Amino acid sequence: MSKYKISRRDFLKYSGASLFLAGVPIPGYTKDKPPGNISVILLEGGMDGLTAVPPIGDPNLIAMRKTITPKDFLKLNSFFGLHPSLPNFSRLMAKNNASVVHATSFPYIKRSHFEGQNLMEGGGLSPFAEKTGWLGRSLDLTQVPGKALSLDMPLILRGYKDNDNFYPASIKNSNALISNLINLISMAHSKDEAEIFSKLSKKSSQASLTPRDPVSLAKYAGKEMSKENGPIASVIRIGQFDTHANQVSDDGYDKNGNHAKRLEIVDDVIAGYREGLGDAWNRSIILTLTEFGRTVAVNGTRGTEHGYGSAGLLAGGTISKSRIIAEWPGLSKKEQFEGRDLMATIDYRSVCAACIERSLGLDHDRIASEVFFTPKLPRVYDYIFS
Amino acid sequence: MNEQFRVAQKVGLMFRSETEIPEDIKGWAVSQLHADSPALGISSKYGKVKSWPQSMQPDLIERARLWRLYRENKKKERERKDGQELASAKQANRQNNLMREKDEMKFAHRNVYGKDQIRMRLMSFWANHFTIGNTFDNESLIGHAMEEAILAKLNSSFSEMLYKVTTHPGMLIYLDNIWSAGEESKHTINCRKKIDCQAGLNDNLGRELLELHTVSPSAGYTENDIRQTAKVLAGWGAYFEMPLAEMKEMAGTTNHWDVYKQRYAEPGNKTVLGKVIGVGKGGLRQLTNHLALHENTVMHLSTKLCQHFVSDNPQKIDIDYIANSWRRSNGDLDQIHSAVIDRAINSKDEKFQWPMNWLFQVLRLSDATFIKGWQDVHNYDNQLMEVKKIFEELGQSFWSTRQPDGYSSQKEEWLSGEMFERRLRFADAIYNAGRPKTSPEKIMDRIGANMTTRNLVESAGGFRRSRFIALMCSPELMGLKSV
Repeated sequence: MSKYKISRRDFLKYSGASLFLAGVPIPGYTKDKPPGNISVILLEGGMDGLTAVPPIGDPNLIAMRKTITPKDFLKLNSFFGLHPSLPNFSRLMAKNNASVVHATSFPYIKRSHFEGQNLMEGGGLSPFAEKTGWLGRSLDLTQVPGKALSLDMPLILRGYKDNDNFYPASIKNSNALISNLINLISMAHSKDEAEIFSKLSKKSSQASLTPRDPVSLAKYAGKEMSKENGPIASVIRIGQFDTHANQVSDDGYDKNGNHAKRLEIVDDVIAGYREGLGDAWNRSIILTLTEFGRTVAVNGTRGTEHGYGSAGLLAGGTISKSRIIAEWPGLSKKEQFEGRDLMATIDYRSVCAACIERSLGLDHDRIASEVFFTPKLPRVYDYIFS
Repeated sequence: MNEQFRVAQKVGLMFRSETEIPEDIKGWAVSQLHADSPALGISSKYGKVKSWPQSMQPDLIERARLWRLYRENKKKERERKDGQELASAKQANRQNNLMREKDEMKFAHRNVYGKDQIRMRLMSFWANHFTIGNTFDNESLIGHAMEEAILAKLNSSFSEMLYKVTTHPGMLIYLDNIWSAGEESKHTINCRKKIDCQAGLNDNLGRELLELHTVSPSAGYTENDIRQTAKVLAGWGAYFEMPLAEMKEMAGTTNHWDVYKQRYAEPGNKTVLGKVIGVGKGGLRQLTNHLALHENTVMHLSTKLCQHFVSDNPQKIDIDYIANSWRRSNGDLDQIHSAVIDRAINSKDEKFQWPMNWLFQVLRLSDATFIKGWQDVHNYDNQLMEVKKIFEELGQSFWSTRQPDGYSSQKEEWLSGEMFERRLRFADAIYNAGRPKTSPEKIMDRIGANMTTRNLVESAGGFRRSRFIALMCSPELMGLKSV
């Protein structure tokens, strides 16, 4: 199975991350600025919470996962460790600027990537029920006009009337486009399409944004968000967490596994944000999202299958006390969800709601009912930000 | 747009200027399902259209040999020191032994120069439905799967295509099936006796076979159905680098497309969605036959075909029409595709065109040379972009690393400023670098452009470049509603 080893450089080349920045206030806009900024790292494919933050104090962990549990984990406390591919995150934990939420998930138990991703971005009550996303709806409630930075428009940011996006092209033999021409094209189109073309015509000259690897994107995003009139939200997507095979490397090195390499990117992205944000770090919150965790047991190909509960990584200067927030359900067979997955005891929507409350200054009840359509969504703000 | 071009836009790629435009458009479209389908292209940007050389279209055995060579050379490179020699050796290794750039160019050529435009659209639809992303060995397998498991099977049944795609090494590698072993297989039992040996099921392909490729979650299958499907699949496939002698020993064959490793197979019958599936290699065929005609598959795929070819807002009557032809013909693809053509013609709704199909249509309508010739597949051209780069910048490539659900046909997924800006910029680049031979005025006359389009082009002024961009980004040419 060692045939599949790919170098880190190869991986970055293929990883296909993309960045979205949203919420650039329009100059001269008089409304109060939101108190902070929010960045979301979408981990597509199902991040394994038991690999990222292994509960080493749980005797069932080694019993179930001897071959895929990191040996050189970093110690967070007597119960939880941290994967060695997350050194930057570990340093932020030590500085009281990062926290982990464990045994958590969006309330989705059916283990399909595509339904799960739709829920984690849409924040709706059932898959494909919402055409807009939870961050888009939140930005809409704050009424700060702005723009997103990406090639496509991710679901998580849709639902925000003044959304626009920006992702510099690199097309040979294409010259500066005349805004008058684009305006004319816009006028021939109807509805949404017309609006999109009309926004394009107002764009000024385009800065080049290269390279486009996730870490450079994070630095760029952080820098933009640190500006006086910079965006207040950003989204970065990192794929390929779906490690059904070779989750760990057979050379015995924790950091060479397929899952470890993805975690390393997450760690670098968080460090990239930290660097780019500069002083704005103090009003920032970064959180990871994933559609589900992975099975407790290892499958036949040194990987894991789609599961339920996972972990969320939170970082930012708005955190003043590092914690591992969990109501640990245990890993014994009868404690597992449906006898196979880590149980989720914290609704991750509550975590998202707390981050919105902190960064956008919206009231929890309003977020619960208008963003997540769940008026009774528990408030976990104090566990994260007090 | 006149009826001929309206249909050619919805289900085809538009008529090139040298093509005679058929009177009976529906008859033509249905006959296209059986059109001659050679891979046409150009050898250089000044060359005439002709068939792709056989030497650039290797079979699986040759692809595997090249891939092994590529990996061996890479290993040697790692052992050597840096230097000029290394850089050129690296480049030569990539150019000689990897298929991606050649396959991607061939795909572009076929779409731009082919006389089988409806078959090309159907190939793209099914290649997207059965997404094989670019991971690991797949770089050299994606193009092969598209041509041999999909295009070559367009006139068979859905069940045949499903079986051929499911067993294609590209799919078996992409969705991790190659290492999966039944829990009671000889391999797993033997493995349990050893220390540090791990073997057992991997359910990735089984899950997507049900969720994406056939019945969809609407069928209400359980985790057990997924496990049982994975058990049927256990034993299928081998990694692409496996030496032929080893493969022969393991599976009794040197055909990469038919590798079933008995040692990895799960003994006993399996039950998927209530259907009992027999033991052994033949089990998969029983399963794909069953899934291909399952009512949830029929509805799932009839809807998906409608969304892609008929309308952005498909009507139940159109979906049912296609579903009925599926049921009546037992999943005969000619019948299903004829039904799709019928509904696409019948529905007057606009159908938003994917970025890559729009690009091909623009190139065919304007007779521009925007894709390099195959002789120059690895040569720099100061005017024309690399084919790989074209698809990347368009935001749509079958050779990208992506999730197995593929690209959406829904308009909403493609509405963004940046996606639209790419259309403007590509129209500009095609005008500047591709030297279109057919003028915007001539194109508008041929296609019978509507008044909105004509007014737009008129208002764009006297410069032909502006008129060209305006025409290609008009709602009419993008498959969108005009005001």
